[in-house]
Amino acid sequence: MDKNINQYLPLTESTAYILLALKNPLHGYGVMQKVEAMSKNTVKIGSGTLYGAFSTLEKEGLIVKVGEEDRRKIYTLTKKGQDVLKEHILRVEILVKNGAMTKDW
Amino acid sequence: MTTIKKFHWFWAWDDDKQENWLREMSKKGWHFTSVDMLSNYIFEQGNPIDYTYRLDYFIDRKDMPAYLQLFQDAGWHYLGEMGGWQYFRKEGLNGEEPEIYSDKESKAKKYQRLMLYLIIFFPIYSIFMRILSQSNTGIMQVLTFFMFFFMLVYVYAMVRLLIRITSLKKKI
Repeated sequence: MDKNINQYLPLTESTAYILLALKNPLHGYGVMQKVEAMSKNTVKIGSGTLYGAFSTLEKEGLIVKVGEEDRRKIYTLTKKGQDVLKEHILRVEILVKNGAMTKDW
Repeated sequence: MTTIKKFHWFWAWDDDKQENWLREMSKKGWHFTSVDMLSNYIFEQGNPIDYTYRLDYFIDRKDMPAYLQLFQDAGWHYLGEMGGWQYFRKEGLNGEEPEIYSDKESKAKKYQRLMLYLIIFFPIYSIFMRILSQSNTGIMQVLTFFMFFFMLVYVYAMVRLLIRITSLKKKI
């Protein structure tokens, strides 16, 4: 596997959801709302956490700024971001398969 | 509008204590409005409300508008700044306290930013102290003594912050 991708894995649950939400361009608060809805309220992202995640992910080149609306920066996934997310999901799928037995407990 | 001024000292790594104190004051009907460099807090009287207060350390002037906009969108009311500390509040719903940091990793980064600031200023401060200590006049010696005392506090603050960061980063 690509070594470049491996260095970002595993993603935290919050980061994985932020990347999923950025499949289409969104601003910060949009991401927070979308993540809450997608995760059925199991994942809530604070504004400080989101602000930090945006700067880190932008620096790493996983997301890119595509616009700005009234002081709200709009980001979307890059190709690199897609690759990292895809690899992370593959890993989680393996985890879920292994964890299937816990349903009988 | 009735206001009161209260002095209360908090260490930088005890920001949760400060947040709790402000919340308790609001429950009694005293709502925080501002704080100065000498730790004098101003409160305004009103109806008791269960406000959750949160402090963030943020000094990126250029990105401040975007930063504040995000907090505002998320329902945080911005109260102001004191030495890089940004004060926010939000009404807690059903006794639940809203958070600005939803995981430990990102909360640790808040203290890392403060730590970085202290590290950058440490050499500047040291040089300043060295210049001062070369003077022999009485008043300068007194000043040097105070500066030395302040330096000890400075180092102590760095150690305590480091402990806070490490404890947040500890995983199960």
